[in-house]
Amino acid sequence: MATTTEAPRQTLFLRNATGLVKAWSTFDAFLYAFWSVNLVTLGLYGMSFVYAIPDGQLLGAVLLTGVLVTFLVITYAQLVSVMPRAGGDYAWQSRILGGGIGFVLAITGWWFTLWLWTPIYANILVLQFFAPLAYTLGWTGAATFFTSPNGIFVSCLIVLAFVSGVITLGMEGYAKIQRFCFWLGMGGLIVMVGLLLFSTHDAFVSAFNREAASLFGASGNAYQATIAAAAKGGTSGVTFGNFGFTSTLLLLPFLAFYLLWPVWGATLYGEVRGAKEYRKVFSAMFWGLWVTVALVAVIILLILKTVGWDFYYAANAAYWNSLLPGGAAAPVSTWPYPVMFAGWLVGNHLFQALLIAVMGLWFFGWAGTLFLSSTRVIFAAAFDRVLPEWAANISAKRRVPYGSLILMIVPSLVVSALFAYRANFQVIFLDATAVIAVTFLGTVIAAAILPWRRADIYRNSPIARWRVAGIPVITVTGVISAIFLAFMIVEWSLNTVYGTAFTTNVLPLQYFAVTYLVAIAIYVVARVVRKRQGIDLARIHQEIPVE
Amino acid sequence: MRVFYATDLHGSEVCWRKFLNAAKFYNADVLICGGDMTGKAMIPIVEDGDSYELTLSGVSQRVGRDQVAEVESQVQRKGYYPVRMTSAQVAELEKDPAKVQTLFTEQMCKTVERWMQMAQEKLKDSKVRVFVAPGNDDEMEIDDVIANAPRVELAEGRMIDIGGYEMISSGWANPTPWHTYREAPEEELARRMEPMLRDIKEMSRAIFNFHPPPYGTSLDEAPALDENLKPLHGGRVLRHVGSTAVRDAIDKYQPMLSLHGHIHEGKGIARMGKTLAINPGSAYEEGMLLASIIELDQKRGVKNYQLVNG
Repeated sequence: MATTTEAPRQTLFLRNATGLVKAWSTFDAFLYAFWSVNLVTLGLYGMSFVYAIPDGQLLGAVLLTGVLVTFLVITYAQLVSVMPRAGGDYAWQSRILGGGIGFVLAITGWWFTLWLWTPIYANILVLQFFAPLAYTLGWTGAATFFTSPNGIFVSCLIVLAFVSGVITLGMEGYAKIQRFCFWLGMGGLIVMVGLLLFSTHDAFVSAFNREAASLFGASGNAYQATIAAAAKGGTSGVTFGNFGFTSTLLLLPFLAFYLLWPVWGATLYGEVRGAKEYRKVFSAMFWGLWVTVALVAVIILLILKTVGWDFYYAANAAYWNSLLPGGAAAPVSTWPYPVMFAGWLVGNHLFQALLIAVMGLWFFGWAGTLFLSSTRVIFAAAFDRVLPEWAANISAKRRVPYGSLILMIVPSLVVSALFAYRANFQVIFLDATAVIAVTFLGTVIAAAILPWRRADIYRNSPIARWRVAGIPVITVTGVISAIFLAFMIVEWSLNTVYGTAFTTNVLPLQYFAVTYLVAIAIYVVARVVRKRQGIDLARIHQEIPVE
Repeated sequence: MRVFYATDLHGSEVCWRKFLNAAKFYNADVLICGGDMTGKAMIPIVEDGDSYELTLSGVSQRVGRDQVAEVESQVQRKGYYPVRMTSAQVAELEKDPAKVQTLFTEQMCKTVERWMQMAQEKLKDSKVRVFVAPGNDDEMEIDDVIANAPRVELAEGRMIDIGGYEMISSGWANPTPWHTYREAPEEELARRMEPMLRDIKEMSRAIFNFHPPPYGTSLDEAPALDENLKPLHGGRVLRHVGSTAVRDAIDKYQPMLSLHGHIHEGKGIARMGKTLAINPGSAYEEGMLLASIIELDQKRGVKNYQLVNG
């Protein structure tokens, strides 16, 4: 029997018009999100603090964080598809919550707090690159220099120079650097995974003792000595099977140090043509997050198998305790970098150095993200005339956004010097994640009320038809994300385990109170000055009536 | 004098209505629409017995006769042209690009004509002057429609005195990968500008209203594309795509103000010597009217400016 099939009918006709482009590759956007939740730099560094909650189940906490951050990803991807704007959080909050709230929340998170991230990046560069590389090559003097205040400050200068260079190079150059670092860095990771996978626990113990003696002059059984050093500080007998529900939840704020950032690039989507396509934006962020979660799970299981769970916690505890006033020295005096440990499984210092150098590409592919989002937020605020016009200035020849770069680099230098030379100031840096979480909280609240606050824009968006039990999906995911973020903000503020509790140290509270007051002051001054110039900042976001 | 400038409405009826209402909302004396008024797509609303079927933003829907006007309004909001037709007519159009083009022109002119009537109704008791200059995406046929409108002045290709300020306008752009309707090589763009530039008596009080932004500024950065029109590096890599002829004209003549559009992502301002160049960007698909308000002062020229999201 013959059958006929009707050709699908054309659902629209297009004509020649500017801007009709084909779909962009999700891979590049994925790369940006993947670098933002950096498994090696932020991930390994952040997880070195989880020894403080030994009863928490780390793998379970990683998976739970992945699930909760997915709601954040869904919320942000929806916001991008409704309003793709350069400046992301600033643009959404100012247009939904109001210009003043948007400015204060976004500028404190994306401008003032990013100054604090310069020394954090620099410290990671020291712990994962300069120090282990120098120790491995036998340059002990260089290694100890980089852990000194001068060394930390020099590392801050290197980070600032590199980041400025990347921004000067532009996104095209940076995208190429990211790709290069991604493929080589992944190669390094595969080698590291292979070494941990195909080596036994006994081989690791033996290798650790060998290199601890060779590179750090440790005598005897350094492996056991490390466990004993941690036990003196109160960390002992940690097993992978430990599971306390509350303790596992309390690991989430530690893991947020890296897993909270797949939405980091959302500030750039105003420049991306076709960003209104929800699925592509979501895919880039989602896979950036979940590929990292999967890789973390692999690393955790390999540490369990080859390194030993108790030892991993002990090594971190011994190192961080040794930095406390009066803390006992650890047998291996450098940060317990899992990459370095994996390299020790091959008894060749040149190979070990090469592995550390290649894994250093995880830093250099990622470091450019430090100020990129900040520049976009500063641009958006300058276009709104809340900040002076020169803040959005770009040099004619090299296209360098020198206005916003000055606003980032000069304060970062001051903050870096404080970090390097004033030890009591360092507690403030622990709050660097919390303040950005506050900014995100503002955004997800804005997202949750979007269908009512900007009903017209919402109704006209591709997400308007998505509902759960009659409630807009953006409201549901926004509320879940808000609860998650609020939980962490409360914990950071009150729980002493993170070192950020206001109850034990009021310095961070004072510091951040000042930054919020400065942001409020800038906005109020801008309103007054602009009014005198005949400009009403309130009308920036007012919607013109349609009828 | 307060000037309200918006551009790249691309057929969005909501944006056009907001544009007309901006005069009262912002107390503006002059409204300028910078070009690319017309839509990029036609949506067939296919008759099927007592109901109609259409696909909008990838979602197919079937509506009754009483709901057709509402969905047509939804389509217009997005800047598309809703056209009621039968399945047979759709099939006929699929086979014949010339017929599609004719229908597009018809829809465009009909819509612009309706917009002009709207301007007449909304602004009949107002002293506000309204200028429209087409852009590279606008077909030539709409010029006559605008020229015949009683309440709107066609700005294309001439010098106009606006309360003592001289404005010259052109919607022609340097070549794009899409081969649109008003494109020309840079040399020809420069030749088109020459007679208008000669008409200007005082550059310190002049306004350039050129659709493409000046090359090499922050106003002309668009996503870099490969040869298949696919954005490179996730759409994040930007390249300058503005006009060198426009750039040269600004650099040489230094007008008080230069108004641009064309690159929706290029929202911002650029100081080019004595010239303030503005591209307010465009978010027409959201029904949001990105625009700029510029205060002109007889002594100081541009007194201040503001980019707004109306």
